[in-house]
Amino acid sequence: MENAIEVRELSKYYGDLLAVDHISFDVHKGEVFGFLGPNGAGKTTTQRMLTTLLEPSGGQIVIFGHDLALDSYPVKRRIGLVPEESNVYTELTAWGNLMFTARLYRVPRSERGSRARELLEMFGLWEKRDVKAENFSKGMRRRLSIAMAIIHRPDLLFLDEPTSGLDAQSTRAIRALIRQLNSEGTTIFLTTHQIEEANLLCDRVAIINHGRLAAIDTPEKLKQAFRKVQSVEVAFEHGPEGIGKKLEALSGVTTAAKMGDKWRLYTEDPSVLLEHVIEFARQNDLRIVSLSTLGPSLEDVFLEITGQKVGTVMYRTGNEGAGRRRRKRR
Amino acid sequence: MNKLLQRVGDEAAQAWTVASKDIRVYYLRPGMIMFGFLMPFFMFFSFSVKREMAAAQGIARLMALTTFFTAAAAGPFIVPLERRIGTYDRLLAAPMSLITLLLGKIAVGAFFAIAVSVVSLAIGMAVFGVSIVNPALLAGGVLLGAFAFSALGLIFGSIPTRNPGDVQMPSTLLRWGLLFISGVFIPLQEMGSVARAIAYLSPLTYAQDLMNHAVSGSGLIAPWLDMAVLLASGVLFLVPSIWMHRRARKLGF
Ligand SMILES: Nc1ncnc2c1ncn2[C@@H]1O[C@H](COP(=O)(O)OP(=O)(O)OP(=O)(O)O)[C@@H](O)[C@H]1O
Ligand SMILES: [Mg+2]
Repeated sequence: MENAIEVRELSKYYGDLLAVDHISFDVHKGEVFGFLGPNGAGKTTTQRMLTTLLEPSGGQIVIFGHDLALDSYPVKRRIGLVPEESNVYTELTAWGNLMFTARLYRVPRSERGSRARELLEMFGLWEKRDVKAENFSKGMRRRLSIAMAIIHRPDLLFLDEPTSGLDAQSTRAIRALIRQLNSEGTTIFLTTHQIEEANLLCDRVAIINHGRLAAIDTPEKLKQAFRKVQSVEVAFEHGPEGIGKKLEALSGVTTAAKMGDKWRLYTEDPSVLLEHVIEFARQNDLRIVSLSTLGPSLEDVFLEITGQKVGTVMYRTGNEGAGRRRRKRR
Repeated sequence: MNKLLQRVGDEAAQAWTVASKDIRVYYLRPGMIMFGFLMPFFMFFSFSVKREMAAAQGIARLMALTTFFTAAAAGPFIVPLERRIGTYDRLLAAPMSLITLLLGKIAVGAFFAIAVSVVSLAIGMAVFGVSIVNPALLAGGVLLGAFAFSALGLIFGSIPTRNPGDVQMPSTLLRWGLLFISGVFIPLQEMGSVARAIAYLSPLTYAQDLMNHAVSGSGLIAPWLDMAVLLASGVLFLVPSIWMHRRARKLGF
């Protein structure tokens, strides 16, 4: 299979912080490649290096056979880029934004109008073509920003968390668009922190955390790991000594980890475990203060895949990215 | 060869695309109006009105001031703003060379300066009622001055930051500094030798001298040398901008 992207030993330091740590992977032509990781994992940093915006500290990037460090011009013509924040010109109309990008990418004059129209219709923005983007909703801006990224018909499209912060309807629309583009032959590099999104859209998924790649596989194969790190979280009013051992002995529990005043019980089947926990509380005369099931967190998936012990990392929420170590840079 | 020509044509069109977009988007922003348009007038009147001064001298000074301040206002304002809203990434990722992008950005300030100069020339001539001795030289001075000073402003715009406020201060300081060493308010002829030696370090000196030639027909430096220095400094000012853009690409701005 031919490769659209070949990355070898790529790394990036911000000062002393090693944000991307010698990663290597290939993206095949024609696939949707997911780049999945929690907040601060190094996804955006990697994508910015792949799109020439950031200079790597080390390693090599080859896109469509061109080494980026030596010859980025032919690559730049063939890639499109949708950044984390929709970067539309709010002072320009939807039409003006598209025309500007078309000219910037040297789309032939005779085709600019028809392509812009086609995209605006496809993205449901045709009615709003003469409205300034400052009056657009977040979802509309994101759609416009994707339209701007593909007006020159790139062979490879990078999207950085294209659905984050959008409502269900906009999210569905954007996912459908990504599928459509891919079916028309565009290779997609999709950065996301949502396991669900990676499962829905990607042919293969790379999992990154703390700048390191854990695994690259099909979503189907990774699901095994995802399943293993679901959990039930419970807090008791007064947890007696040695309760951890007892909890770990409950049927279905793989690991019990104490998180503040709560216990997190990892399991492949949270709904069954829920009943066991309630039963356990009744038998031991314990009062449950809170009880909830959690989907797999990326931090845990990462630990599971790399063979480390789950539950050793602090996190806030189940599904969203965990352990916000993110240093704000804006 | 054909390919090279095609590429050059592409890059020229892209520079113009960048410039014309900025002209549409940013010219009427309060920041641009404040720093670009009002400042030179304000300074001109506050420094000039009280002193007795020949009309021709006044016009020449007004022209030098407007090109200088207006041209240098665009870069430090626009680039950090574009970095902040993320639109700068699109320009950096586009298939064009960094020089093309920089020339496009320089053109934004330069056109702004040329437009404001034409307006201030009209106003100045109406107020003072002078005629221009050498219009071609005046046009050359405005053009080259606009280019050089816009390139100067872009150096500050190239500082890796996402906040226009960060660069406003140093760029304003430098512009005021240049203003006072440059033989704008004190003619070169009246300067001591040390002051004059310092004045020769500032490109604004040559713009002022050129304007003097153009308006009243007398200057201290040869006009061709004035023009050569302005052109050369504009080109030279690209170097720190390129260097800082490289740095920004390493730092992640
Ligand atoms: N310009 C920068 N300067 C210094 N540190 C940075 C810079 N950009 C990112 N970082 C740091 O590098 C690490 C990786 O950040 P990056 O933005 O690549 O993560 P991410 O996976 O995209 O996260 P998110 O899901 O929050 O977007 C983080 O620790 C972040 O704080
Ligand atoms: Mg990111």
